[in-house]
Amino acid sequence: VRKEIRFALNGESVEAQVAPHETLVEVLRESFGLCGARESCGQGLCGCCTVLVNGTAVSGCLYLASLCEGAEVQTVEQGGELDAVQQAFIERGAFQCGFCTPGFVLMTRQLLDEIADPTDDDIRHYLSGNLCRCAAYPEILEAVKLAAKKRKASRP
Amino acid sequence: MKRRGRGIACMWYPIGFTVAANPSAAVVKINEDGTATLLTGTVETGQGSLTILAQIVAQELGVATDDVHVVSADTDTTPMDTGAIASRTTYVTGNAARLAAEKAKDILFEVAAPVLGVKPSQLECADHKIQVVGFPQRNMHIGDVADRARGVNGQPPIGSASYNPATVALDAETGQGKPFATYVYATQIAEVDVDDETGEVEVLRIVASHDCGTPINPMLVEGQVEGGISMGVGFALEEEILFDKFGRQLNPNLTNYIMPTSLDMPKIEVDIVDSYDPTGPFGAKGVGETGTFGVSPAIANAIHDAVGVRLTELPLSAEKLWEKLSGKR
Repeated sequence: VRKEIRFALNGESVEAQVAPHETLVEVLRESFGLCGARESCGQGLCGCCTVLVNGTAVSGCLYLASLCEGAEVQTVEQGGELDAVQQAFIERGAFQCGFCTPGFVLMTRQLLDEIADPTDDDIRHYLSGNLCRCAAYPEILEAVKLAAKKRKASRP
Repeated sequence: MKRRGRGIACMWYPIGFTVAANPSAAVVKINEDGTATLLTGTVETGQGSLTILAQIVAQELGVATDDVHVVSADTDTTPMDTGAIASRTTYVTGNAARLAAEKAKDILFEVAAPVLGVKPSQLECADHKIQVVGFPQRNMHIGDVADRARGVNGQPPIGSASYNPATVALDAETGQGKPFATYVYATQIAEVDVDDETGEVEVLRIVASHDCGTPINPMLVEGQVEGGISMGVGFALEEEILFDKFGRQLNPNLTNYIMPTSLDMPKIEVDIVDSYDPTGPFGAKGVGETGTFGVSPAIANAIHDAVGVRLTELPLSAEKLWEKLSGKR
């Protein structure tokens, strides 16, 4: 039995027909063609499917789509231009294959919303739920610090 | 109490196997606007191979890397490739790409030589131009030469080539021979803290010194070595596929197949050793797999240095170390 849900997806109000078992990452991919959140482990352990629901990072592979009724959902595709975090990841070369990068970008945005000027330890702990098999961790650490600087500089 | 130790491991790794056919092929087309197109069968998985191949073609033709359009891994259009395996792409596929670019370039030299009033052997490619060696002011834009090659000489500048490190059979009696075209070398040093009560090992720092011939793209070389080190740390300390007696995997998930996270990454220093291999494209060899192998012996040696215990089976888990440490007490 499919149910219609309405929610805000990257700032636009949308609707979708979802089955009770369907996860958010499946609906994003199949109903909206958004492939930035990727299902990898399917158990909420790798962080590749990270999306923000009402501003909080969730594992899209475990989060049931039907729970998104009325919610604000943000994926890495939001906005036309690259933000400070994405720019910093590019400038520091903080990836190789890029499979995990959308998850890291969204987690980093949430980190910087909570801690504007994080220490190395803050970053390493906050991002420890996101796995990067290419192990760009040293560059990711540098990118997060650069993103923090960029955000500070752009603030009036 | 925590005890600190350091260990060192040296290694070599083979590049370009020769015991069986191991070819790559490439097609390079120089376009009338001065750009080039490379057709290659190899697959990009994030290691940066296509960037490296574009750099090699760009260097051969004297154009910018961005001017090389790479078409890859599509057997409708590209040659079949032996594979993005065995740390072979830069060396084998890179040689094929360079040779194909050289053949296309030779056509441009033949076309430009009479116009510039010199022999083809007196020409070189640089800065988007075909120019006379020693007299760079006598030049033609590479796109104009490509246009002339097609429109006037009737010889479009397209080169195709393959490269196969000479296949050498091993001696059937002794198993001896020359199984690889070339080798890379590395030394890795690990610094660890070992808790002598629990057997827990923390890798604090890895210093890795690598020879890969000419590092065509040093940033990518560093990335490959860092990735290899992370896999080496996981391989050394925690990654292990467990099977039951029927051969079923007991830990087919990331809850109990543990791999390194941002918290497990040691401080890494990568040092690229300056070297040049005359058989590689612009002196390059390979680096894909080579970051991994030195890490586990270096960590095993560091553990021995810290607590005097020699473990000889991976992973060097806290349980195994604790057992040996308990035996010692």
